[in-house]
Amino acid sequence: MGVVEKHSMLSGFKVREAMRRQVLSLPDSKSVGKAISLLIKYKISALLLTDGDGRPSGVVSKTDIMNAYYADFPLDQELRSIAAASPITCTEQDPLEAALEVMRQNRIYRLYVYDQAHTRIVGLLAYPDIVGLLYRLCRSCKRNYLIQKGVREEAEVIRRFTVKEVMTPNVQSNRANDTLYTLMEALSQYRFGAVLIKDHSDNPVGVVSKTDLILAYKHGISPERPAHEIMSSKVHGCEASAYLAEAIQQMIFSDIHRLFVYQDRPENIVGVLSFTDAARVRSGSCRACLTTRIKIEDQGI
Amino acid sequence: MEPIAKNIMVSRFHTISHSATVAEAVRAFKEAGGPGEKRRVFGMMVVDEQGNLIGMLSMYDILLLLRPKHIHIWADMSDIDISGIIDTVCERARSVKVEDIMTTELITVSPDTHLFAILDIMLRKHVRRLPVIDNGKIVGIVYISDLFYFLYDKLAGDGL
Repeated sequence: MGVVEKHSMLSGFKVREAMRRQVLSLPDSKSVGKAISLLIKYKISALLLTDGDGRPSGVVSKTDIMNAYYADFPLDQELRSIAAASPITCTEQDPLEAALEVMRQNRIYRLYVYDQAHTRIVGLLAYPDIVGLLYRLCRSCKRNYLIQKGVREEAEVIRRFTVKEVMTPNVQSNRANDTLYTLMEALSQYRFGAVLIKDHSDNPVGVVSKTDLILAYKHGISPERPAHEIMSSKVHGCEASAYLAEAIQQMIFSDIHRLFVYQDRPENIVGVLSFTDAARVRSGSCRACLTTRIKIEDQGI
Repeated sequence: MEPIAKNIMVSRFHTISHSATVAEAVRAFKEAGGPGEKRRVFGMMVVDEQGNLIGMLSMYDILLLLRPKHIHIWADMSDIDISGIIDTVCERARSVKVEDIMTTELITVSPDTHLFAILDIMLRKHVRRLPVIDNGKIVGIVYISDLFYFLYDKLAGDGL
C-alpha cells in the first residue's frame, strides 16, 4: 500500500476535499454488542469511541471486534477494553498526500479528521474516499488521453481492463468444518476481509467474512462451531477474462465488496477482486499520469 | 386540556411483529396510512409474541438497509450500466427480517410526560414518534405533528 509519488494527481489537494463527513461514534462505556449493531446497520468497518467528556478516546473496527470474539469476551464487555489505542488523526487542512503517508506508516486504513482549531472531529478519511476523488479527477482531467482523442464513449476506457489484470492472485481458503477460531486466525494473519470455504474435494462452497463473524458473535454462536454453520453459501464469482466493468457492475448489484475470480470453470478459483481495487484501476490509468496511481490495501469492508 | 402525553397521543396505534419481513412491514405501513386514515405511516412499534414493545422500525432504518455500500465511489461512474438497480435492491430488502434492522435503543414516555419534555426528546434524539408506555404496556404513540397541532391555535393567536 501507499506508494505516493512526489507530484501525483493528488498534489495540492487537502484532506477536507476527500474526507467523508459522516463520522459515527459511540461512548467507550457502551457494549461490544451495541457496536456490532451499529457497524452492521450503517455498513461501515469502524466506529470512533468517545470518553465521558465526549473527546475521542479510541477506535473500534470489525477486526477489533473479531479479536474480542476470539478472546471469548462477553457481548456486554465495555468497548474501551477492546479498542485499539487513541485514534490516529490529521486536520482538514493537511495535504492529502501527507495524510496518506501517515496511513501508510501506521498501517491503518482510516484517519479521523480534526477541524483546523483541533477542537472537534469533523470527518473521516479512508481509502475508498480517495478512490472516489481520484475517479472524479480522472474523468475531468484535460490530459486524459482518451478524452483528448475525442473518445466520448467512456465504456471504451474500461474495456481496456480485464479482471485478471487487477485481481489479487492466491486466495486464502479454509475447510467447511474448520472452527470459527481457525478462520479468525487465518483472517488476522492474512489481513484480509474474508476467507473462501472449500469442501473435501476442494470445491468452493461458501465465504465467511469479518461481517459474518461479528454477526455470529452477536448471535451467541460459539467460536468452536464449524465454518459451514455461518458461511454465506453463495460464492460471488466472475471469470478472470471478464471485463472489469462487468465485475464492478456485479458488485454494485449484489452490494458486495469482493468477487472470487475463476478460470475456465466456477470451481477453479484463481484470485479475488475487491471493489476498491477495481475502482482504483479506473483512475490514474492513462499515460498522462500512470505514475500517480496509488496502491492501496484491501481493507475488507 | 393538560399538555401531557395522554392528551396528545394517538391511542389507535399499529404494531408489527419482530419476525415480520420488510415487505410485510411496508404493507402494514400502507394499510395503516390507507384511505380513511388521516396520516401516512412511515414507522411502527415492533412487538414480541406477548405484545411487549421491543423496538421501533422507521423509514430511516429501511433506507439505511437500501443504501448501497459503495455509492460514494460509484455515484460518479456514468459508464457503468445500473439500470434495474432499484428493483434489485428492493427485491433483496423485501425478505430481510424487521428484527435485524429495527432500532432497539428505545425511548418512551409515560402518559403524564409534559409536552415540552416530549418536544425536548424529539429534537435531541431526532425522532418523530414516541411510544407511550403505562405500567409496561403500550397505550399510545405521540407524533411530532400532533404535538405541533396541539399548539396550532395558540401559536396562530386564534380565539384571543
